[in-house]
Amino acid sequence: MTSKEPPKIATWMLKHFGSDLNNDAILGDLAERYREKGSAMWYWRQAMSGIAVSLFREIRGHKWIAARSLVMGWFMWILYVTLIFPLLTPLFSGSHFAVAIVPQDPIGTAWSVLWAPVLGQANFGTSFSFAFAVGLPLVVWTICGWLVARFHRDHETSMVLLLAGSMLLIDLLLAGPFILRVGPFVASQHLFGPLAANISASVLGVLFGGKLRHAKAV
Amino acid sequence: MRKDDYLGNFDLMLLLALLRLGEEAYGVTIAQELEEQTGREVVIASVYARLERLQERGLVTSSVGDSTPERGGRAKRYFRITAAGIREVRDARRSLMNLWKSLPELKGEKA
Repeated sequence: MTSKEPPKIATWMLKHFGSDLNNDAILGDLAERYREKGSAMWYWRQAMSGIAVSLFREIRGHKWIAARSLVMGWFMWILYVTLIFPLLTPLFSGSHFAVAIVPQDPIGTAWSVLWAPVLGQANFGTSFSFAFAVGLPLVVWTICGWLVARFHRDHETSMVLLLAGSMLLIDLLLAGPFILRVGPFVASQHLFGPLAANISASVLGVLFGGKLRHAKAV
Repeated sequence: MRKDDYLGNFDLMLLLALLRLGEEAYGVTIAQELEEQTGREVVIASVYARLERLQERGLVTSSVGDSTPERGGRAKRYFRITAAGIREVRDARRSLMNLWKSLPELKGEKA
């Protein structure tokens, strides 16, 4: 027997991350058709496609705003890893860490900029590594998400989602060369440990920050 | 002619679905109609996205209906084709018929 209530998480995601003006009508249509079809897979597919369709439509219609929100979010992160992160590391580990920007090695530089707080940590051995891998990225990306939402009020949902998506995409693109360079064994220690936690915390931080402004407004 | 002015395949199918459905055209019925005619699953959000574009071009109008419990209390949005939309469909049909007539017989198809 199939429940007549559509999957709650999918509904929640479409409600909060769908930026279409017709979101309410779409949710109503999906609920109505779900009663007839009863397929959770179908519902999930429709809900996720709904988020993607509204996001691409917003980006296509507002290319400059989309570019500005990406620049703003990433600029904030680069500012953190190049200026604030090196100042914080002695407080936690007793020694200085800095981001390595090497023009001859763009992929290595991207790893450093994106994963600096977590590279070199194969596990959460100390509370410091946890703070660098999860705590600080969560806080910084929450601020980035909040700022992007704050400065793009008319398109906040799609711009926040775009920033989170860009981060996830870059992380995935960087994971391939990372595995090739350090080898599958070392890479798996990172990718299934602090690095995975770091990426998840960063993405959730952006989404949380973006919604924080909205929650306050409501 | 701008790229957006061109009536695409999906746009034409949507306008034809609106003509067939008349007063009963909203997200669910439009998607059902398209699925029945094409045999392919239709993403409801993409139906709205295209209809929104057609509305911006004045080919379609929309109105909000009543909310019902089976829709979780959410209102339906009804769409109707405008006179300009009907003209656009006629033009598209004429163009397609002309192109079709000038084609040699397709392989495996009776004339």
